[in-house]
Amino acid sequence: MNDIAPRAIGVLLLFIAAGSIGQEKPRVLYFQDDKAERTPSHTVIPAYPRRARRERIEGEVQVCFKVDHFGKPYRIGVRRSSNRIFEKPAIHAVRESTYLPLAPDQKVSGIKTCRTFRFLLEPVEPDDSETPGLSGQDLSN
Amino acid sequence: MKKLTNRRPIYCGILCLLLAFTTAVAIENKTVIGPTNPDLQEGANALLSGDIEEGIRLTLIGLKMETGTRDRQTAMSNLCAGYTILNKLEEALRYCNLVLEENDEHWRALNNRAIIYVKQRRFAEAEKDIDKGQELAPNSRTLKLVRAMLLDATNPVSPNIIIDDRRSPPDNDE
Repeated sequence: MNDIAPRAIGVLLLFIAAGSIGQEKPRVLYFQDDKAERTPSHTVIPAYPRRARRERIEGEVQVCFKVDHFGKPYRIGVRRSSNRIFEKPAIHAVRESTYLPLAPDQKVSGIKTCRTFRFLLEPVEPDDSETPGLSGQDLSN
Repeated sequence: MKKLTNRRPIYCGILCLLLAFTTAVAIENKTVIGPTNPDLQEGANALLSGDIEEGIRLTLIGLKMETGTRDRQTAMSNLCAGYTILNKLEEALRYCNLVLEENDEHWRALNNRAIIYVKQRRFAEAEKDIDKGQELAPNSRTLKLVRAMLLDATNPVSPNIIIDDRRSPPDNDE
């Protein structure tokens, strides 16, 4: 018979490690042309997935959807994606975004609107003044 | 220290989940009759609950009464973790080194020592420990996080998101 061995807590340091991995707001670039069926009124920026950032993963997702009379996206689906890790934040961003409502006499177009999200990581200068670690962050994901 | 104290609940919440899993795996094929080294066990519990000083005190007592190689290595690894949280890096490093002198395949000690090295900005040594740790435990989430910590220290990046609503093919203007 064996006893319970005392627990090794090497994983304790996980929190220090995770805490150092920041989740700063991404820099956003927005492109549109004059061929769009509907005009965005509120565009939600997706979060850069923590794991993707940690593992230096970049990618692209194209989400297509219809927009109802009131400007709310529906029938949202991923048309193409380079990595599934980006799909959820892209879909969520589209779902929470809105477009200008149509006038009462205007009809909803049957054409789908598509929005492409590119998730990129830009190198920045290391901050030599700061010792990494020990900054608490939400550790989900 | 004040900063740390405020964050301990976050640390401990996830740690408890991880430890629950670790313990479950450890005792899966064993008949349980009780802890071999109560001080060591209570020391680990204290560390888990965020009482780092008490955890270290109990673990040091447990270390004196260690009953085997595994207990000793666990104690030293836990001391390494505790002292690191207290930012007593030299002391922490001493205990991690002691573990690794006895068992150079103790991936948790490699994980812990890599964090110390990153905090000391000894990046090459940190990378070596992470590489070796990942050879031993390729699926370790903690080691992945430590590697990310190292990358953030040596090659930091800033996230950019491009939202493109254009219907016509984009020019090369990005």
